[in-house]
Amino acid sequence: MTSDVFSRFKHLYLTFDIDAIEAETEHLLQVGVLSKDLLSECQTYMKIIGDKFESGEYFLAELVVAGELFKRTSMIMKAKSDYQNTERIGAIVLGTPKGDIHNLGKDIFAILAEASGFEVHDLGVDVPPEKFIRKIEETGAPIVGFSCLLTTTFNAIEDVVKMLEGNGMRKNVKIIIGGGSTTRDLIDILRVDEQTWDAFEGVRIAKRFMGIQV
Amino acid sequence: MNKIIKIYEEDSMTAEERLASVVRLEQPDRVPLSLFIYHYAPVFLKSSMRNYINDTSEYMRVSRQLYEELGPWDIYYNTNPYSRFIYSTLLMMRLLYPGKELDEDKVPLIDEIQYMNEDDYDWVIKMPRLFNIAFFRARMLPRFCREAEGLGFIRTILRMWNHAVRQILYSRKDMQWWKERGLVVQIGMNPEMPFDTFSMARDVIHFSMDIMRNPLKVRDAALSLSESFADEAIIISRLMGVPRVQCFCHRTSNSFISPKQFEELAFPSMEIIVNRLVKAGITPILHCDGDWLKNLKVMRRLPAGKCIIQLDGLTDIFKAKEEIGDHMCIFGDVPASMLAASSPQAVDEYCHRLIEEVGRGGGFILGAGCEIPTNAKEENMRAMIRSVYRYGYYSLKKTERSVA
Repeated sequence: MTSDVFSRFKHLYLTFDIDAIEAETEHLLQVGVLSKDLLSECQTYMKIIGDKFESGEYFLAELVVAGELFKRTSMIMKAKSDYQNTERIGAIVLGTPKGDIHNLGKDIFAILAEASGFEVHDLGVDVPPEKFIRKIEETGAPIVGFSCLLTTTFNAIEDVVKMLEGNGMRKNVKIIIGGGSTTRDLIDILRVDEQTWDAFEGVRIAKRFMGIQV
Repeated sequence: MNKIIKIYEEDSMTAEERLASVVRLEQPDRVPLSLFIYHYAPVFLKSSMRNYINDTSEYMRVSRQLYEELGPWDIYYNTNPYSRFIYSTLLMMRLLYPGKELDEDKVPLIDEIQYMNEDDYDWVIKMPRLFNIAFFRARMLPRFCREAEGLGFIRTILRMWNHAVRQILYSRKDMQWWKERGLVVQIGMNPEMPFDTFSMARDVIHFSMDIMRNPLKVRDAALSLSESFADEAIIISRLMGVPRVQCFCHRTSNSFISPKQFEELAFPSMEIIVNRLVKAGITPILHCDGDWLKNLKVMRRLPAGKCIIQLDGLTDIFKAKEEIGDHMCIFGDVPASMLAASSPQAVDEYCHRLIEEVGRGGGFILGAGCEIPTNAKEENMRAMIRSVYRYGYYSLKKTERSVA
């Protein structure tokens, strides 16, 4: 696929033109572009935006709109039969644990992780520990992510860790916590593997968990 | 002659004098302490959250009992609303309450919904400016506040003023108890800033699009509300008898917008509001959630020695001391996670460091990074409260006070 085909799409994406992106996505799929190629393009653009975010050129507003662009394009791609054949680098079970209903950080991480090739099982907000365990068992996901704006989530996280230890699954699952109420010292206190305040760093950590060089 | 009440026997200032001193960036007798205990109190005392939140007399009983058991501290962090209606009016967000939408023991939560449309910016900009903040609130409230559903514009305005008067009468009665114990009351009014209100009202995704597609419209709408926002705050805080207005800035940090967007879009309205409050003899308390470090250079344009900036742990408070500590009183920032999950030793060490480094030379109020989490450990709370007595006396620096 030549890059000329994507030149308008790339321009719309990187200028955050949320109003025109869906029509262009439809157009590209109609002229024969494969979902996997379009997804690959989106991943490249998300990387460009991510790099600018990490270098301090972009801030959350750009990240949120980029996430919305990805969400809108992937919704259209998912309706195509070839989308199921796109490769995934791993699965992540994600949620805001019981005690908190905030979803912004979680949603941004979910989109970025999906844009980076992960299969994301987003359980939503105020999720009880048992629901995390069921989804981990069902999917065999090697990574679980907890998004926490409130410290009231800590008990639920501790419960998930205990349950994973109790059923022998802890060694197979890497745990990352993120959000405004988290700090590095919680890694030891809650017996998790990583912590971040930054969704892009979170995705980088998840890739590292999967043995991917970043 | 009024009796002078000291918080500790060794104090040489009253809490009121201590607070005034740190706002002026002077060195008081001791570092003052303010604790945002609103939701913590009923959990600590195992009281009903539903009753505490919905019944003002139960609030007063529980919060006072907490002070009797854990105190003393210097500043009464009074955020207790008379009703959910007035709370919604000030915060301009949908609130979920225990015993209503939530289980009886749950802490109230903010449910962020999009209730403002893109066209509303134009409506705000075109409105005559006199009291337009009240008209803006009255237009929006029925869209997100349960207690305003079905009310027309005029009835919403009337209910706003009815509850505002009840809030003032209730607060004045409540704060008397704290004043009698020597505390200074922190807040005369605590509204959300206009720019931040738009972010909440549009929701993050739409607001992010707005500031990318129509940035000047967002700025101009916030500017349009700024004068009447200040007028309202001045009137209410005077009626409360507390010359401090706490302005919530939940969405103006570098965690959400760039320093350039802050300077060009959010700061103009903030500057008008702060200058108006200062001119009226009121101390603005800027409650700055998120990472504000890259905004601080611009905030130096606000009047020196007149404002308090409250940081929540996401801004590096030690760097903030270097950036703006000679210009604004800094308030913060023991992290919620530390109070909930760390040891008393860790809390003690962190508070000591805050007092030594951020408190150097004065201009510092010790507090938590925003609210005390409901699961804060009692021993951690005691360590934090004790720290201002143990390390906070400026005349005793380097010689740690021994405590029982």
